[in-house]
Amino acid sequence: MFHVSFRYIFGLPPLILVLLPVASSDCDIEGKDGKQYESVLMISIDQLLDSMKEIGSNCLNNEFNFFKRHLCDDNKEGMFLFRAARKLRQFLKMNSTGDFDLHLLKVSQGTTVLLNCTSKVKERKPPALGEAQPTKSLEENKSLKEQKKLNDSCFLKRLLQEIKTCWNKILSGTKEH
Amino acid sequence: MTILGTTFAVFFSLLQVVSGESGYAQNGDLEDAELDDYSFSCYSQLEVNGSQHSLTCAFEDPDVNTTNLEFEICGALVEVRCLNFRKLQEIYLIKTKKFLLIGNSKICVKAGEKSLNCKNINLATIVKPEAPFDLSVNYREGANDFLVTFNTSHLQKKYVKVLMHDVAYRHEKDENNWMHVNLSGTKLTLLQRMLQPKTTYEIKVRSIPHDYFKGFWSEWSPSYYFRTPEINNHSGETNPILLTISILSVFSVVVLVILAYALWKKRIKPIIWPSLPDHKKTLEHLCKKPTKNLIVSFNPESFLDCQIHRVDDIQARDEVEGFLQDTVPPQLEESEMQRPAGDVQSPSWPSENVATTPETFGRDPPLRCLAGNVSACDAPILSSSRPLECRESGTNGPHVNQDLLLSLGTANSTLPPSFPLQSRILTLNPVAQGQPILTFLGSNKEEAYVTMSSFYQNR
Repeated sequence: MFHVSFRYIFGLPPLILVLLPVASSDCDIEGKDGKQYESVLMISIDQLLDSMKEIGSNCLNNEFNFFKRHLCDDNKEGMFLFRAARKLRQFLKMNSTGDFDLHLLKVSQGTTVLLNCTSKVKERKPPALGEAQPTKSLEENKSLKEQKKLNDSCFLKRLLQEIKTCWNKILSGTKEH
Repeated sequence: MTILGTTFAVFFSLLQVVSGESGYAQNGDLEDAELDDYSFSCYSQLEVNGSQHSLTCAFEDPDVNTTNLEFEICGALVEVRCLNFRKLQEIYLIKTKKFLLIGNSKICVKAGEKSLNCKNINLATIVKPEAPFDLSVNYREGANDFLVTFNTSHLQKKYVKVLMHDVAYRHEKDENNWMHVNLSGTKLTLLQRMLQPKTTYEIKVRSIPHDYFKGFWSEWSPSYYFRTPEINNHSGETNPILLTISILSVFSVVVLVILAYALWKKRIKPIIWPSLPDHKKTLEHLCKKPTKNLIVSFNPESFLDCQIHRVDDIQARDEVEGFLQDTVPPQLEESEMQRPAGDVQSPSWPSENVATTPETFGRDPPLRCLAGNVSACDAPILSSSRPLECRESGTNGPHVNQDLLLSLGTANSTLPPSFPLQSRILTLNPVAQGQPILTFLGSNKEEAYVTMSSFYQNR
């Protein structure tokens, strides 16, 4: 009998402690009732999307690598939102309007505050901005810049839509429970 | 072991109580009693100037020496880490778009680099809305109520959109008795019966955030004054159309009652409650009583003024339904009566006298006369002859018909029954041997007469 109790006391709890981080998410989502998202974040996301209405018609149906690697899967919503929020910061100063950057930062920063991710996740390397391009002529650079700007706008618009979709998924899952 | 554990628990709880916390702030943070002199309160106003927000702080103690004192906010800001307040007399103000509105911010009173008092506040929970405006009250005469409407700038804002409004109104003479009504919209209906007539009321409205954003009541809107009308004026006004309709309906009801009373016996009652036919009354109605001053005489000279028509033929054609079917045997249909032409007077009158009336005889005697020998009928019939009014013969239909019915005068002649007919010619046609047929021919009412066709062929 002593051998049985020894196994249950010293065997199982450490096993559970080891397996628990694997099953759980790295980010603890706060505000799952949706009040902060609907009252603050969604307003900024809608403002940004409204300012980018004309961009959608020119976007090609490119599959961005970011969305291939990061998806809003079950139990991975927090991680996706965290990465998406950090990615938003790369598009600061893309638009000349001051309010555009403010709304962008509100979405990024507000999402980060609500996610309350662990320090391990926060210390991870931010996604790369992009590979360095070889030296080209001025005209080529100009066209490339315009193309890049268009691509960035399309990607930003897609990113905002995915953030909105992922938040709606979290809130709908909370309401069902 | 147990005692030791209990001892440690008590010791640690006492240690926690002694270590430290006194005072309580509205934002939930714990404050040190020594910092009460620099206690302050703040409120935020979102989108007060376009998309710009404002944060206003002030010391609760107005006697505090605010010289060299500054306010600073850190945290929950976008793009920056901290922001400094701007001092306006006794209050400290900051206007910016950089409020994150998620999470807590730390607001501190600073004297130089030293923080005298700090508070962790969520700016979304200290929101003070703007005061409502355009308050007005309109009296609706048809509904007997007052429609209160007002406007608020938060209807066009993005963040603080959901508000709860407090409408307060009072009697002008009752200064401290305010009545409050809470509503989420910008329209309110006050019933007239809830207010006193001929009285001036004062009304005002304020707002407070509802839902996610929380905070304080806004300032009161400018007061609006309105006066309630008199009740008498309102009750005296009646709809002229309604009045006309009511008068007409009363008048029509009165007319209907009068008509019903007047026409009850003659028209209404027979339709609603038809009376069953009474044979006696029917016969009495048909066979009217003879008038007075009838000439009864067997002297032909007395009847010189009477119109005497020659009867050539007597034919019985139509049979009165019911009357004949019930009382007259089939022999009557084929009876044949014939009398000599031209000789009207002498045999006619007796034969007329033979024509019996329902009043004089019952049904049976005419039947016996019809079916049997005429001579047998003569005596009883003659003895109870009916007075004749020649002058009136042309005017009275059934009376005339009965009077003009001619008896056969001979055997094997049947007597025509006295039929309650008007304006018909009774003719007896020889249809078959031995059976007279009575026929009624339509004619003028006043000149009703009976033609007797020839009697039986054998005569």
